[in-house]
Amino acid sequence: MTEQKNMSMQKHKLKWSRYSFPESLWSFGTVLAILVFLGYSLHFLNIDVLVMLTALGKLGGVIADRFYPPEISYVTNPGYLSSILDTLQMSFLGGILGVILAIPLAWFSAWNVTPHRMIFFPFGRLCVISSRAIHETIWTILFVSILGFGMLAGVSALTMFCIGFAGKLFSDEIEAVDIGPVEATRAAGANSFQVFIYAVMPQVRVAFTGIAIYTWDVAFRAATVVGFFGGGGMGWYLKRNVQQLENLRVGAIILSIIAMVLAAEFISSWLRETVNRSK
Amino acid sequence: MAISGNYSNSLAQQIELRRHRQLKLVIIWGGVLLFSAWCLNGTIIEDTDWSRIGGRNGVFASISRYLTIDLSLFSELIVPTIETFMMATVGTVLGCFFSLPVAWLGAANVTPSKTVLYPLGRFLMVISRSVHEIVWALIFVSAVGLGALPGVLAIAMRSVGFISKITAEAIENIDSKPVEAIRATGGSDFQVLYYGILPQIYPVVLATVIFEWDINIRRSAVMGLVGAGGLGLLFFRQMNSFNYGGVSMVILAILLLIILGEIISHYLRKAVI
Amino acid sequence: MSVLSVRNLRVRYTAKGPEILKGIDFDVESDDFLAIIGPSGAGKSTLIRCINRLVEPTGGNITLLDQEVCSLNTRQLRKLRRNVGMIFQEFNLINRMSVMDNVLSGRLGYTSNIRSLFRHFHKEDIARALDYLDRVGLGDQIDKRADELSGGQRQRVGIARALMQQPKLLLLDEPTSALDPKISREVMALILSLAKELGVPTLCNIHDVQLAKEFCNRIIGLQDGYKKFDGGTSTLSDNDLNDIYAMEVL
Repeated sequence: MTEQKNMSMQKHKLKWSRYSFPESLWSFGTVLAILVFLGYSLHFLNIDVLVMLTALGKLGGVIADRFYPPEISYVTNPGYLSSILDTLQMSFLGGILGVILAIPLAWFSAWNVTPHRMIFFPFGRLCVISSRAIHETIWTILFVSILGFGMLAGVSALTMFCIGFAGKLFSDEIEAVDIGPVEATRAAGANSFQVFIYAVMPQVRVAFTGIAIYTWDVAFRAATVVGFFGGGGMGWYLKRNVQQLENLRVGAIILSIIAMVLAAEFISSWLRETVNRSK
Repeated sequence: MAISGNYSNSLAQQIELRRHRQLKLVIIWGGVLLFSAWCLNGTIIEDTDWSRIGGRNGVFASISRYLTIDLSLFSELIVPTIETFMMATVGTVLGCFFSLPVAWLGAANVTPSKTVLYPLGRFLMVISRSVHEIVWALIFVSAVGLGALPGVLAIAMRSVGFISKITAEAIENIDSKPVEAIRATGGSDFQVLYYGILPQIYPVVLATVIFEWDINIRRSAVMGLVGAGGLGLLFFRQMNSFNYGGVSMVILAILLLIILGEIISHYLRKAVI
Repeated sequence: MSVLSVRNLRVRYTAKGPEILKGIDFDVESDDFLAIIGPSGAGKSTLIRCINRLVEPTGGNITLLDQEVCSLNTRQLRKLRRNVGMIFQEFNLINRMSVMDNVLSGRLGYTSNIRSLFRHFHKEDIARALDYLDRVGLGDQIDKRADELSGGQRQRVGIARALMQQPKLLLLDEPTSALDPKISREVMALILSLAKELGVPTLCNIHDVQLAKEFCNRIIGLQDGYKKFDGGTSTLSDNDLNDIYAMEVL
């Protein structure tokens, strides 16, 4: 009896191994490839690993050294305060325009309700993906070169950013809609536009409002920086002071940006909660 | 046609209700419209010097300059594209490392101190998301100098917010039963973490990291604007030398790189979850 | 010498809350397969979890293998826990991991952190795992993911995992409540036969009185935190049962 048990134990000993060929080769290979790529990247980009890992520690020292004490008086003067207002207005305008333009584009990009799968769908997808792919700062630079410095370029850039941001979220929402009402309106003979208005919009209205508020929140973050590239608002002050090496003022400006963004995030989450509760 | 007494009351009520709702909508949309008009005035109308832009024709002329593509730039695009791709990858991986302790602090069920370290963890997550990557890059340039490193660090810091938020939420949602089982076998805290918690959260965390990597490609393209190399720097140079065809070429390269990133990210995320 | 001695065990979850266990005394001998029965809320689950201190007792003492459980520090507690195998009502397996890895996790109390990082277990552990898996009838499922198994199969993995610890005491927390009646019988029979073969005393928290009477040699009846019955299965009368379950409506 014990001999049999020993024999079966030995048989098993030879049978089981955690690593099976070729599945384990795939996972090991992938991990190895990623590690090699990372190592090569560090070499290619001329990054010193030690400096990279100790950078956070150095950061504390650098901040205390150069940016402290921040020149708060600089950010409380009326000129700067009006730029904060400008930034808010830009973000709102860009948000509204972007959201309004994003709605039809999201409709085109939604596989389930797009008016024409061969024409409108690729067009909608391309517009949304392109708007998203190009960073808001690149949009700013492009618009500045076409429209000159100032808030027109800034608002245009923010609008393009919002089209991309809200467009993707909107189209995901539309694609997740309950197909029942859509089929019903189609069966009743409605065209694509009517299906969208009567079957899709009522379902996504609440979610869209939440997404619009979230888009404004993210647009505000971008708006604080478009000025750096000529788009008007707080960012321009940042650029000027960075160029003039006025580090204490830069510190104050960064603090004011963080404060404003935190306030915006607070307002936006409060608004979204109110919308969700009331509707 | 006469309607019977019972129905006419509720009909009147319905009409009242609809009127109320419509009034509310009109007020809200009216408010939004007014607010927009005020913003429009405060920003574009006051600020824009229409004559300098050159009116409508001037704008069209400016746009048309971008409609050519400078194909001769093609060979110069390869290295910056690789640099951008690498920066995104290294930045995301670094961001992962920074995210783990922050997520651990910010998860209510495993945080070592609910009163001090938990709010600290949450605060770090918010700060990371609130500071724009350009601002992070400026901060790091003053700390470590120019080059790819500040760009990589900026991307890492920016990613921490989202990755650690999702990770903390995943940790808070784990099933405590495997954790109890590992404790009952006499497992140490590390073993409880590695066998009880990690297997439950790693698919969602990995998918999030891949998602963030995709977004980071977009961000690393602009790190060149603060001297980090990659396609951003090329964009900057082409812009400065007024080679608009070249600028369009760089933008096309960025677009293609991002589409490639989206395809990779889509398939990798499917494989993980 | 009893393997386990419990004296005046008291448990209160919060300082102002009710006392869940109000002074329980009993002993477990080395050849016992002991059932704890009682209505819901009587404190059965709490009692089981006090033995390995998954729940902290607020009063009384527990002596297990000649050690005072309540006064152990973290390291000593870990060492004690690895000698106590536990089988859970909802199996408590690691769902994404394979059956083999789940069973091997029973040895974690004996494995250092470094080796657990690389999931490296000794050859003897692996051989023993394969042997136990064979004995519980899962020899052909070793590489399947735990969540691909049926309830009965998962509990067998739980049994193998508990036995991997080579425990000196087995704790069962309603091991069959999540299984259908036929499978419940099979699982209880399997646990009983393995416990007898390996000479491991067992403390079983069980909801189904029929199962308790069929498989266990001693029964403890709890009601509302008090011990109402303590004796051999054959001495459990219907009157005693009425007494224990008196307060239960159904």
